[in-house]
Amino acid sequence: MKLVRAMVVARKEWQEIRRDRLFLALCLVVPVVLMLLFGYGLSLDVENIPFAVVDHDDTPASRDYASHFSDSRYFDFRGRLADEGAIDRLVAANALRAVLVIPPGFGRDLAAGRSVRVQTVIDGTFPVRAMTMRGYVLAINAQASTGIALEWARAATGADERSLAALAQPVRLETRNLYNQPLRSVWSMAPKLIMVILMIAPPFLTVLGVVREKESGSIFNIYASTVSKAEFLLGKLVPYVVISLFNALLLFLLARYLFGAPFKGDPLFFALATAMYVVCTTGIGLVISVLVRTQTAAMVVVAIVTVVPAALYSGAIIPIESLSPAAAGVAHLLPAMYYAQVATGSFLKGVGWPVLWPNLLVLAGYAALLMAAGYLLFSKRPRT
Amino acid sequence: MAVAPAGEAVVRLRGLLKRYAARVAVDGVDLCVQRGRMHGLIGPDGAGKSSLMKIVAGVLTHDGGTVEVFGQAIASERDAERVKQRIGLMPQGLGQNLYAELSIEENIDFFARLRGVDEQALAARKRQLLAMTRLERFRDRPMKKLSGGMKQKLGLVCTLIHEPELIILDEPTTGVDPVSRRDFWAILDELVSVRGLTALVSTAYMDEAARFATATMMLGGRVLAEGTPAELLAALPATVVSVKCREQVEAQRRLGASFRDTILRGPWLRTVVDAVPGEDAPARARSAEARVREALAGLAIEALDVDAPDLEDLFIARAASAGVAAARFAPAPAPAKRMERTHAPDYNAIEARGLVRQFGDFRAVDQVSFTVKPGEIFGLLGANGAGKTTVIKMLNGIQPPNAGSGAVAGADMIRAPGQIKRRIGYMSQAFSLYLDMTVRENLRLFAAIYGVPRARRDERVRELMRLCDIEGIEDMLAGDLPMGRRQRLALACALVHEPEVVFLDEPTSGVDPVGRRRFWDILFRLARHEGVALLITTHYMSEAEQCDHISLLYAGRVVADASPEQLKAELAGRRGELWAFDTPTPQATVKALQAAGFAGASLYGTAVHVLDPDGATLPARVAGVLAPLGLQAGPPHRRPLTMEDVFVERVLELEREAAQ
Amino acid sequence: MMSRMDWRDVLGRGLELVRKELLQLWRDRVLILFLLYVFTVDIYLAGSGLSFSLHNATIAVMDQDMSHASRELASRFQPPEFQRVAAPGDPRAAQQLLDTGRSMVVMQIPPRFQADLGAGRQAAVQYLVDSSNSVLGLLAGSHAAEIVGRYNLEQGAARLAATGAGGRLPGVDNAQRALFNANQNEAWFMGIAELLMLVTVFAIILPAVAAVREKERGTIEQLLVSPLRPLEILLPKVLAMTLVILAGVTLAIALVLRGVFDVPIRGSLPLFYAISALYVFTTSGIGLLLATIARNLAQVGMLAIMVLAPMMFLSGMWTPPEALATPVRVLMAVSPMHYYIDAGFGVLLKGMTLAELAQPLLAMALLGALAFGAGLARFRRQFA
Repeated sequence: MKLVRAMVVARKEWQEIRRDRLFLALCLVVPVVLMLLFGYGLSLDVENIPFAVVDHDDTPASRDYASHFSDSRYFDFRGRLADEGAIDRLVAANALRAVLVIPPGFGRDLAAGRSVRVQTVIDGTFPVRAMTMRGYVLAINAQASTGIALEWARAATGADERSLAALAQPVRLETRNLYNQPLRSVWSMAPKLIMVILMIAPPFLTVLGVVREKESGSIFNIYASTVSKAEFLLGKLVPYVVISLFNALLLFLLARYLFGAPFKGDPLFFALATAMYVVCTTGIGLVISVLVRTQTAAMVVVAIVTVVPAALYSGAIIPIESLSPAAAGVAHLLPAMYYAQVATGSFLKGVGWPVLWPNLLVLAGYAALLMAAGYLLFSKRPRT
Repeated sequence: MAVAPAGEAVVRLRGLLKRYAARVAVDGVDLCVQRGRMHGLIGPDGAGKSSLMKIVAGVLTHDGGTVEVFGQAIASERDAERVKQRIGLMPQGLGQNLYAELSIEENIDFFARLRGVDEQALAARKRQLLAMTRLERFRDRPMKKLSGGMKQKLGLVCTLIHEPELIILDEPTTGVDPVSRRDFWAILDELVSVRGLTALVSTAYMDEAARFATATMMLGGRVLAEGTPAELLAALPATVVSVKCREQVEAQRRLGASFRDTILRGPWLRTVVDAVPGEDAPARARSAEARVREALAGLAIEALDVDAPDLEDLFIARAASAGVAAARFAPAPAPAKRMERTHAPDYNAIEARGLVRQFGDFRAVDQVSFTVKPGEIFGLLGANGAGKTTVIKMLNGIQPPNAGSGAVAGADMIRAPGQIKRRIGYMSQAFSLYLDMTVRENLRLFAAIYGVPRARRDERVRELMRLCDIEGIEDMLAGDLPMGRRQRLALACALVHEPEVVFLDEPTSGVDPVGRRRFWDILFRLARHEGVALLITTHYMSEAEQCDHISLLYAGRVVADASPEQLKAELAGRRGELWAFDTPTPQATVKALQAAGFAGASLYGTAVHVLDPDGATLPARVAGVLAPLGLQAGPPHRRPLTMEDVFVERVLELEREAAQ
Repeated sequence: MMSRMDWRDVLGRGLELVRKELLQLWRDRVLILFLLYVFTVDIYLAGSGLSFSLHNATIAVMDQDMSHASRELASRFQPPEFQRVAAPGDPRAAQQLLDTGRSMVVMQIPPRFQADLGAGRQAAVQYLVDSSNSVLGLLAGSHAAEIVGRYNLEQGAARLAATGAGGRLPGVDNAQRALFNANQNEAWFMGIAELLMLVTVFAIILPAVAAVREKERGTIEQLLVSPLRPLEILLPKVLAMTLVILAGVTLAIALVLRGVFDVPIRGSLPLFYAISALYVFTTSGIGLLLATIARNLAQVGMLAIMVLAPMMFLSGMWTPPEALATPVRVLMAVSPMHYYIDAGFGVLLKGMTLAELAQPLLAMALLGALAFGAGLARFRRQFA
């Protein structure tokens, strides 16, 4: 193999990419745009939830309890409702997403030392949001409930603060949110977005580049020449790998500086793993482009092969443990999961070689496998 | 690299077979290409030319038979790699293998470096090849902005840059205008004769077959005939008789009934008369003339000419004897009903007056005027980019002119473009059909689009299928039809609403001669029986001969406007007759004659053509030029002038003027 | 010749063109298979096995007390939310569990836990959460707060009884009720979301492909020289594609949403079809716009990605408008998909009526009409 000849192919490829404005835009702008959109648009932080209260009790105790919700930054208090009748309609129309319903006798029962039940009606249409609201309600209620118990104990016993605390709250839970202390969803998403975008973009570029040549017939220049398969494939893929690496760098900078996600890991390790992953996903593109004939078919196949796995079987949205065993099996067969762990580990957890070396190994193996498959499937003297 | 002696086989195929799924593309072909020769493959789309060439170039597998290139048996990818450095391939499709975004120079550099040509050699060869193809000035122009002819020359340069011994060119001249074509052949001739290159070249233009040292005619994956053009023609014992007759429709009917192949050329009827076995050449001509006169007994014959058949006649004859049913032309049926279109005598079906169309700084069409009468076949000729398509678009009412006026089918171009659209039929280049729909579905669709009443639709569809000779294939997908039938279907679609005027924009490109003749048969019926006016553009100069009236466009202007006969007579008057003489050293001879200022000196295989007004002194003058150089030439034969000569001479003249 | 046509002829001509589009689509087997795939398998994949809730979150309990009380507390962390994994021996091992992702939560129960409780002292429990997924981090914390809160109520009541101040401690039990999707079945949400998304994708891509294909093959010329007006060329395409998409919707609802996921269709299906038809019809204008810009199918694909990605993330499916910054909210307001999502979920899941949906529908129709008008205008300018 002559490296010079591979570089001739690479240079021609680069000249073509550079002059095809639309394609160049696709190469460089789309990943960044996707990152911005995901980063800003896919914020899973749920704040300012439109919120109302139906207070059938209307005592200081009930108002005090409700204020725990309406005063929090998560809920945006929109007012009080006379009864439950209008709830469904208002929630359906997106005017409200959570309504607290306090039954009559709330204050009286608490004063008598009895536990009471209240209800929060939440909009269940969008499960992620519903889940998050559920988390807030649980946490706020636990806090309010503890306060009420404490108050009651004080009134009942007249004990000092310390023993009161021990009395009403025998176990104190000291929760520490590791890795993402402020629970910012954009910090969680940013590393995984790098994974998703680098899963989709490189194969797209690669198939369009290779299949374009097949479709136009210029591939015959390659077939008819003495350039070797390895030289051609290397030259053809290098520009796309380089563009994707450049994109990876841009995405990293966006995640780090625009979204402010902390990067605690080993930059060298992360760079290496990213390069390996990009070679992997470019390899996916290569294998597809050897097998299909038209650009349209290539795009369809890439969409099917990359988008669903990147979103569902990578641990990006759902942790692998929460998947069904079959789905978890699929996840282990695809490179996305291994790189998702590297990205999250490097950004948020600050882990590197000692913990993640097996992931790097898997990615390297994957890359080698795909490239070998592409090499073997590509023929300079095809049947049709 | 050791150069083997001339005459040795560079390519040898035995029983070559290639299948695509169920379809057999190459069906047992034996072929031998000799070193230092220009070997032509002639045949229509789907004849198996492309597959054969790709197999020889080692870029396609085959399913049977043996392939030997440079003595190397090609049976695997590895075998093919061994000879690829000695081969150059230019695949089919104008500029398809070039890179649109790259400039001329970048394209050449890429091909050279891909082949490992060192930079010094590259610079030298690039300079030489660019000079030869006159692309020097356009070095930095992106490929996508080149004209068809320039793309084709660039493709050739890229194919040659690594100095291959064998070049394989797949239809390098399809879709290219005659001037660029002649240019291309001159370059190729020089390469073969001066550098000892071997060339395997395919073409769909029959008249180009005359330029090959050896020609192989292919049809349906098999070889129809093979030999030098002279050998091929000698093997066809037939005579061409052309008659001019006032009662043309009746004459055509009678000739069609008596002979295999009759076609109209303006006022002429051209009939191929097969010889009776045992006749010698002079007897053959006499008896052919007598038989034609007999068939036309009772009709007044204004003029009659006897000539030898050309390669296109040969192809059709061979196709007919190979059992291609379509190659036997049935007599034209009498018109079902004679369309009564009564018009004032000065009525013009198409009238263009001073049409101008400007695109930014570029004047695509400049003061174009012409008229077309009902029942007339009007040819609009011109190089790629001369403005033909723009003129048609303006007449169709798709593009408004910047200046000028006109009327089509009695409707004003400016005021009533909508009416024009309802009264005309239009058939565009190559792909104007829905290939994923059947014949019937296509026809019904266009019938609906043109508002043919539902009640009449089925009847009209049947009529059209009969007229355009596509009965019996109603339920085939248009995409599965061979080129010829597909084009006839497209024509049928353009005729659903019985238009008065039909526009045909390169309707026959890629269609084999048999298909083209059938197509023209229909056009004549439309014009002569139904009085439809036809405006047609074509790169086939043999088709241009068949028009009643021609306008030649050059750089957006009309530079000639007359009948083919008048144009040829005018050329003969100005430049002289066409003379051909054989020479053992064609390349050197043509060079010497060009240098000595002989007009139109050009190479056809082993013959050289020149235009000269004085046949009597020509041999002496030619000898005067050649003898000092030690060259020889046979006695000149007068050849009929063709529309190609008219076209090329006129355009070259204008180019010379423009250059000054 | 036919100089004037009455409306029946115009209609008949239009229907013939619709038939032609359907015929061509039907003959494109690859596209048909792809449509079948996305409207069935793809929706199934998106909806199944997906879970946003805390499900099988791994928890490792480092029990340094090994007492009855500590085991009792630990045992309250149960499936389905939690699953216990092997306990770490020391804090370093615990950290490693979190770093490698083998455990999401580490709970550390201190020595003398039972003794402290018995002595009426407050015991502190460390609860370390891997919050690299912010939503799950929040939920893991909230659930723990709730479990410990309950535990405290029971323990506190017992202690109070011991002090002789009565055996009760009041607390508030906040029951949550999720409207429209009581069991928070993610398949319902994802199934419907994917369907609405696919409708959008195809509403843009199918007409664009149909138009560009005519451009690529040159058949558009044939239509342009015919007496058809631009609207007469485009309308049948859009109509045909609307029919095809509605067929896909039918397939998805019958086979997947109802058949597999048991989504309760609460509203009127005819209303949903009518809304979808209106949406597809108007949104196709965006596709026609793309078709006037693109030269070939591959370019249509690229442009579609650039247009669809922002539309999807600004659809309100993942992030509610109230959680977005104002400029992004403005963008969201001009995306027709946003209104379609509202209306789609409104009819299918919330059982809303036409009157209740008047506002989003009006906005959708208006934006759609603009898009269609723009597409038509550009087409007219390019070709006529």
